[in-house]
Amino acid sequence: MSVNTARVDKLRRRQIDGQSLKRLVEAGLAWLHTNQQIVNSLNVFPVPDGDTGTNMFLTLTSAYNEIKDSGEKHLGKMAGLVAKGALMGARGNSGVILSQLWRGFARGVQDNATLDVETLVKAFAESRDTAYKGVVRPVEGTILTVAKGIAAGTEASLGSAAKRDAIDILEIAVKSADESVKQTPELLPVLKQAGVVDSGGKGLFFILEGMLRHVYGESLDTPLASVQTLSAMNFENAMQEVEEGQDYEVVVDFFPNSGFELQSFYGRLDEMGTSIQVGEGEGMYRMHIHVPLEKRYEPIDYIMGLGTITKVAMENLLAQMDDIQKNTSQQPIKFSAVESGQIAVVVVSPGTGLSRIFASLGVAAVVEGGQTMNPSTQDILGAFEKLPTDKVIILPNNKNIIMAANQAKEVTVKQVAVVPSRTVPQGLAAMLALNPDGEVDSVAEKMTKALGMVKTGEITIATRTVEIDGVNVQEGQVIALLDGKLVASSGSVEDGCLDLLEQANAAEYELITFFYGQDMSHSEANRIADVIREKYSGQEIEVQEGGQPHYHFIISVE
Amino acid sequence: MGQETTSLGGIHISPGAVATIAYHATLQSYGVVGLAPKNIADGIVKSITREPSRGVFVRYNGEDIDIEIHIIVEYGTRINSVAESVANTVRYHVEKALGLKVNKIDVHVAGLRVSNTD
Repeated sequence: MSVNTARVDKLRRRQIDGQSLKRLVEAGLAWLHTNQQIVNSLNVFPVPDGDTGTNMFLTLTSAYNEIKDSGEKHLGKMAGLVAKGALMGARGNSGVILSQLWRGFARGVQDNATLDVETLVKAFAESRDTAYKGVVRPVEGTILTVAKGIAAGTEASLGSAAKRDAIDILEIAVKSADESVKQTPELLPVLKQAGVVDSGGKGLFFILEGMLRHVYGESLDTPLASVQTLSAMNFENAMQEVEEGQDYEVVVDFFPNSGFELQSFYGRLDEMGTSIQVGEGEGMYRMHIHVPLEKRYEPIDYIMGLGTITKVAMENLLAQMDDIQKNTSQQPIKFSAVESGQIAVVVVSPGTGLSRIFASLGVAAVVEGGQTMNPSTQDILGAFEKLPTDKVIILPNNKNIIMAANQAKEVTVKQVAVVPSRTVPQGLAAMLALNPDGEVDSVAEKMTKALGMVKTGEITIATRTVEIDGVNVQEGQVIALLDGKLVASSGSVEDGCLDLLEQANAAEYELITFFYGQDMSHSEANRIADVIREKYSGQEIEVQEGGQPHYHFIISVE
Repeated sequence: MGQETTSLGGIHISPGAVATIAYHATLQSYGVVGLAPKNIADGIVKSITREPSRGVFVRYNGEDIDIEIHIIVEYGTRINSVAESVANTVRYHVEKALGLKVNKIDVHVAGLRVSNTD
């Protein structure tokens, strides 16, 4: 562990007030989030609400949301808010217990503006007592046992002669939690059979440890000491996202010398890079890390001093990402084969990615075109004239192309209907209503009805300075259009998306899909989607490659 | 349901046996501080009981098991989450012990116990 002693000394001299508690809760939450999957993997009961890590994380998130904007200085009042938030957001068994622990803690500190040793110890005891009151037949070997261990450990420390402060007590609490967690399999046979420790207890441990790591000034982003079996290590997932500046993937296999210490190993790796994974099998360790270009030899040099290296693999992730993107976008698009008598759908699509999505929904042909390059009647006609059927439905997906589509209908001998979709999301919504074996008119009617099921957002750059629909726009600004109407102008794409979704009342809908354009990178699109995900936690957020020009995002809200 | 015939004879599991499993699973659920008997005459919950056959009602409905549980919840816990946990825990334990599917579990929160007021 790389404890920042100067920081700890400074914190020791400070009063712990409501704002300090807020930062501690935030740290506990961050650390729990980082280790959420570890906690989830400890579940032994296959019950529907069994994802303990997720439940505790959501509960604590609700607690943190309650306080994150609060300027409350009084410790007791702040703790009360935490307890209230935890209660309101309590999910699952472990979440309810966690909220009870906070409730007890808040009661223990309610009259204190700042934290002192005796109050903290008392609060841990109140936590335990309140938690135990919530159940008739407490099961030992669970989070309850861990709460008891923390209270006992901190109470015992009061008796010793050494002069202590609140940080010492937190250290003792973390240590006691750790020991209690390790004890849980001895108390609960089902844990021992499964070869795990109690998940809720482990979650509680992570929350406290996160607080302590915050005090120590340690990172809260890299899971600690999670050694997996070699076969469980999966680097493919890590390839989905590459962090900015972490361009090299380094994998080192080695046999450590005696005295190899995992905690300090992780601590040192944490300073070098991200996406750290360590696996172990039959004495051999495998280390995986993403590091910046100039640091690519650092992990190897470091591990050289720790043991015998058997194998080193290094890869440039950016090149690899490019390959992956090229491969997916170069694969030929496979359209649905139509048989004579069936309805063929022809769509106008502004980008390769969108064409691919349309094809997956059963489109028979695509005409390239969009806002700035309207296809001609001839182009549309050419797309369906050769198809082996007489029944055709056209989705123009742009209001400026509807007319050309209607003209194509006039000049052909085939039976054609135009479903007047004005945007790509409308076109996609219409495709879901397609029944290729139906009659053209009735199917077209159904598809037209489906157009209204979806809201369309578009994010682009203003090409001139103007004021429309009451929105003032400067040339070069990001603008957001909702169903074709200008609703916001902002400084960044991210803000544009947020403004747009707010205007669209997105919180009332279920699914938000982002189709990113050719000017956006995959990782940037994902980053923005993550920001949106945080704000719209109740909605499903999807990111798809659209490939359209000019529009950074086409957004569908449904 | 609850009945099985083997080469040696029949096995019959009474609703009372199922109720006992459900009762113990309920009491181990966090947030539950007791079960409440249902007064059939007027539907008013009278007092906390520790008698397994009261507070838990099991019905065989053709192929299905239906369970109804009346619980007292600790004041200050999130009642929804507690009730959901009860349903999940009871389902898990009954299905594990009997190998039979539980069709539905109705959890009635009959009352709250106040042990501390904040």
